[in-house]
Amino acid sequence: MNPTIAYITVRGMLGRKRALLLFALPAMLLLLVIGLKASDNATVSIQTAVLRQFALSTLLPLLALIAGTGVIGPEIDDGQIMYIMTKPISRPVIVMTKLAVAIALVFAFAVVPTFVAGLILGNTEGLAFAFAFAVLIGGIAYCALFVALAVVSRFAVTIGLIYVLVWEVLIGNLAPGAKNLSIQQWSLSIVDRLTDASTVEAEVSLGTAGILLLVVTVAGALYASVRLRNLTIASAE
Amino acid sequence: MSTAIHDIGYRHYDGPRLGRAYVVRSMFVYNLRAIFGIGRPAKTKILPFLLAAFMLIPAAGDIAVLAFIKQPEALIQYSSYPMLLSPLIAIFLATQAPVAASRELRYGTVPLYFSRPVGTSDFVFAKFGAFTTALFLLLALPLTLLHLGFVLTRSGMVDQMKIFATDGSGEVEKVPTIVHQTGLYLGALVGCLLFALVLSAFALVIAAFTPRRGFGVAAVIAVYLISNVMVLIVQGIAIESSNYDVAGWAGLFTPFNLVDGVQVRLLGAPAASTPQAPPGGTGGPVFLLACAGVVVGSLSVLLARFRKAGQ
Amino acid sequence: MTTLRIENVSRWYGNVVAVNGITMNIAPGVTGLLGPNGAGKSTLIHLMGGFLAPSSGTVSLEGTAIWKNPEVYRHIGLVPERESAYDFLTGGQFILAMAKLHKLSDPGAAATKAIAMVEMDYAAGRAIGTYSKGMKQRIKMASALVHDPSVLLLDEPFNGMDPRQRLHLMDLIRQMAAEGRTILFSSHILEEVERLATHIEVVVAGRHAASGDFREIRRLMTDRPHVFAIRSTDDRVLASAIIADGCASSVQLSDGGLQVEATDFRRFTQLLPRVAKQAEVRLWEVSPSDESLESVFSYLVAN
Repeated sequence: MNPTIAYITVRGMLGRKRALLLFALPAMLLLLVIGLKASDNATVSIQTAVLRQFALSTLLPLLALIAGTGVIGPEIDDGQIMYIMTKPISRPVIVMTKLAVAIALVFAFAVVPTFVAGLILGNTEGLAFAFAFAVLIGGIAYCALFVALAVVSRFAVTIGLIYVLVWEVLIGNLAPGAKNLSIQQWSLSIVDRLTDASTVEAEVSLGTAGILLLVVTVAGALYASVRLRNLTIASAE
Repeated sequence: MSTAIHDIGYRHYDGPRLGRAYVVRSMFVYNLRAIFGIGRPAKTKILPFLLAAFMLIPAAGDIAVLAFIKQPEALIQYSSYPMLLSPLIAIFLATQAPVAASRELRYGTVPLYFSRPVGTSDFVFAKFGAFTTALFLLLALPLTLLHLGFVLTRSGMVDQMKIFATDGSGEVEKVPTIVHQTGLYLGALVGCLLFALVLSAFALVIAAFTPRRGFGVAAVIAVYLISNVMVLIVQGIAIESSNYDVAGWAGLFTPFNLVDGVQVRLLGAPAASTPQAPPGGTGGPVFLLACAGVVVGSLSVLLARFRKAGQ
Repeated sequence: MTTLRIENVSRWYGNVVAVNGITMNIAPGVTGLLGPNGAGKSTLIHLMGGFLAPSSGTVSLEGTAIWKNPEVYRHIGLVPERESAYDFLTGGQFILAMAKLHKLSDPGAAATKAIAMVEMDYAAGRAIGTYSKGMKQRIKMASALVHDPSVLLLDEPFNGMDPRQRLHLMDLIRQMAAEGRTILFSSHILEEVERLATHIEVVVAGRHAASGDFREIRRLMTDRPHVFAIRSTDDRVLASAIIADGCASSVQLSDGGLQVEATDFRRFTQLLPRVAKQAEVRLWEVSPSDESLESVFSYLVAN
């Protein structure tokens, strides 16, 4: 973990327009739950629906995509990564630092708002913490996946988008087997374990989910480090 | 030796020039080709053509089913088709809107356009027109395929119904007439045009403000997904509490529902493709006004944005 | 850690060979890398800087390979042509960050010193996005100097600088070379290279065309006759003597003087004073007209 790299990455991520998007997305979640609470619509099934459909299935993947690809993609694209690569710093350290920044952003803009939203809605059966924790673990896996994608391809955002929208949502709903390979489903298993609410039902066993989450995270970080070592700096081609 | 400045640089051209219509047409064609990756590297063609192909598959599959089981109920409702495939359309929007709106901004070439006889409005309208046309093609092609398939399999369905209608009852009437379906088809085409206009407006504006690579894609899909999920949740809750009006009005806030509302109330679509159609009476006109507002508003924002970039 | 060794290095992209079997040693001092556009100069500098891997051959600094070896960057400073520094940081923040990334013991002092060296103190508090082209170039230079490297690789470093800045930078480079550093810079502008480099490497179409002092390269080009301009008290006598001797392929007589194309350089240099003395002709001016870097370069490129 290199604090200077982290500083530069954070400064780069929180430039005006990107920060606007990062703040606006969870703000919408909070607006919605405040409205729902005010209009007295906060039953356990509504809480689950909001936390699951909005926080887990929409906010988390979106934020992880923006954060995961944003911490390293644009730098590689513009060639500015050269200023970090031509220093006596090991490649795994660079990857881990950027991954940590991405996870921190996901924590600030997805995990915390999920928790707050859950609290505002009433926190029945500990749903707030259950979802917030699942969002954190899922977020770590998503970030590792998207950082690795960003090192490998210029079209990381598009590929990540297709993974989330087509694989996890469309195909996940059609082919039950695909559910075993979906980060969202694994996160749902964590929620199921942490709450007794009957409205939450996971499709994947916790053991499988836990192992796969770990595998994806470690594999993503390792692969990104290896590819970074072999990186040809963009304009050199 | 005397000093003089010799005018051999810029050569005056006094011959016939092709005029504004040609310029606008050229920009329109250029943008349309770029959106589908024609005239660009092979990788940029993969996604738009793949998506166009996937848009056709359900239509083709439905015709096959119709030809096989010969039941008219199997025909997908034309006006529902866009909603059915909205995730694919959203991906097209997210990946191709930056191609149309962001590239000149990213590379700073906008002033190059405006230092030639191209007005800001011509430039923007050509882009908007190209993207709208691209979307319209994407939506209308499968619909046309569907209708054609119906026309071709209709006689088979009628024969089937005749076999069932042993007691001479009006089973045959269950199969829609070609005239009736064509009416629905034309209505759905107008719906496609409306979809194309509104979705273009929405996506191009977002892309124009997020020129960095990858950021436009994320921003367009973020606005689509978040607005979609919020409206879905609100509609779900409202319907549970039988608050059908609130559920109907909620459709204003996400682009696909917005246009479908107009389809149901004003274009004769048989049924809503969203959880709840807008309320009867005022719903249709208000939704149509909102569509117009989105299109007009986006165009003015785009004009302002490109005017600023051209300075 | 001062000698860069490039051994039989090639780099190809599919069917296009950018660098073709080049071997060179970059020793301490100022070396100019010269070549026409598309010759492979940038590719060569990128290979030396570890930006890409050689398709074959090795690039090493005192025996240690550069590719996939982050530690080597303690001794190398790079100024790339295209990549600009982070727009959102100020000049001062950027150089300080570079100093910290190099794990220097006193990053603040090193940063201040580097910024002063390139005369950017007055703008260090402004964001790099607001800099002019020359200022961005200078801040990139500072980032390459901050860790006091023994090797500097500069890809078109004078791009965008005004004459005063260029002179200042040239002085800086000369001073650093005098301290024993190895400095390699590439340029299209022959005057810069002529003025600054003590040693040149010429690359043409991916191949290593020549290396060394450019005057000596000229001497080695025996297939091209040396051209001399001569003015004397009696040009005709000299002309006939030179032609009679046979060491020149052509002699042109004009109002301005004599233009001699000498095929045998050594013989001619001995012949001329001897003939002039014998004929009692006084020589006003004898100057080689094609020993400039420009003519050497054009001969090499035309080949």
